[in-house]
This record gives sequence, structure tokens and C-alpha cells, in this order.
Amino acid sequence: MASIDASDVHKLVVACDAGMGSSVMLASTLKKQLKGMPVTVEHTPVDRIPSDADLILVHQGLADRARATGPERVVVPFQLFIGDPAVASVVATLKNGGRIDG
Amino acid sequence: MADVALTELLSPGSIRVDAAAQDWETAVRQVGAILVESGAVTGGYVDLMLERERSVSTFLGEGVAIPHGTLAGRELVLRDALCFVRYPQGVDWHGDDVRVCIGIAAQGNGHVPILAQLAEVLMEPDRADALRRAASPEAVLAILTPEEEPVS
Repeated sequence: MASIDASDVHKLVVACDAGMGSSVMLASTLKKQLKGMPVTVEHTPVDRIPSDADLILVHQGLADRARATGPERVVVPFQLFIGDPAVASVVATLKNGGRIDG
Repeated sequence: MADVALTELLSPGSIRVDAAAQDWETAVRQVGAILVESGAVTGGYVDLMLERERSVSTFLGEGVAIPHGTLAGRELVLRDALCFVRYPQGVDWHGDDVRVCIGIAAQGNGHVPILAQLAEVLMEPDRADALRRAASPEAVLAILTPEEEPVS
């Protein structure tokens, strides 16, 4: 299973199927939470995740599709678009340091 | 700020504050019909909204779902638009209780500030409650108007 050190995360991508709804919501929330940190946050359809994405957050139901885009990629699945503990844990690790497991 | 941009995307005519549906599928069809009527999408988009809902629910929490099409559905979008449908009696959404649907049709990112505002609202229980109780288009628009962001 891939993992990455928080200090190596420069681009975080929130992926969903169409990239017009749920991923937009989560990305906007994350942008606010990570404001002032050297991490850019983008949202994209799951089939168009950019190659330089260091960390990918994706809805549980789409995690396999996200992993299929590259086995070495760190993919963190979540279930709730608002208040998901997996997302909160990623934010905390990005802020405080440590490793993030995909 | 941009009230004009807000009502261009979410026009008062695309806001229903007293709808009812016996299940999520009916609700998605109602939401889709409003997007079709307002000229935002072609009819085929509604089928893709249903498809998306079957694969991954668009339920967000706090009684709100945001039905929208799949990636293929983007090509059926004629104009970026949102609609708002309130279900005072609630709709069973794969086991979740949905009181508000915000339908999305988008090719670009013009709607992002409104969704960002929605995320803010839903993180505060009092404001989320106000959104679920909004009984007029004016009340809905007041809650979803993006707040002024300090220029960074």
C-alpha cells in the first residue's frame, strides 16, 4: 500500500465521477482548511486525475477507479462529503506532519 | 457580492420550496425536470443523474443532496445552472432523510462559489437548519449568497 510523508504533499486532488458536484464541495472546504500551507487543492473527474497529484481523496465507491490510474498513488477513500473522519485525519497530518497511508 | 451571478446560476424560477416525492428517484426526476425546463440541460441528462445516484449517492449530510449527471452528462449541459427543491416532508434517500435537493448542471466552474458557500452553511448546524426551513426563494438566495472573501 502506497504512503507519503505530509511534507511531500504539494498537490492534493479531490476526485469524483463528474467533477462538478461533490468533489467541488470537499475541495472548497479543504482549500479553506489548508489555507496558508504549501499545498494546492484541485477537484477533477476520477478519470482525469493529473499525473503530478501527490495525494488523492476519493469517494469510497470510486476508490478502485482512482487506484487503477496508478498503483503507486496514495488514494484515501472517504464516505461523507462533510465531516468525514478520514478527511479530518488527512488535514491533521498535513498540518502536524507524519505519514499518510493510501 | 455577486448577486447577479448568483441569480444567473440559481434563478428564483428554479427554486421550489414546497415539493413532495415518495422516493429519491421521483425527486431526482423532479429536480432534473426543472433543469430541463430552464434550458440548462437536454432531457437525456436526467437519466445520467439517476445513473450517478445509483452508483454513488449525492447525499451530503444535514438533509441535503446535490443530484447531478455523470462525466458523460457534461456534454448534455447547455448552460451552467443550479436549482433548489425543498421537501418539507423529507425523501428517503437510500436510507438518509433528504429535505433539500440542489440540482447541478455544470461544464465550467462558475457554480463553485455557491457550492463552497453551501459547504460553509452545512458545517454550521444553525445555518443548515435555516436552509432546510427556507420557505421562499428570497430566503434560499440569502443563505446561499457567497460571502465576501478577503483578497489573498
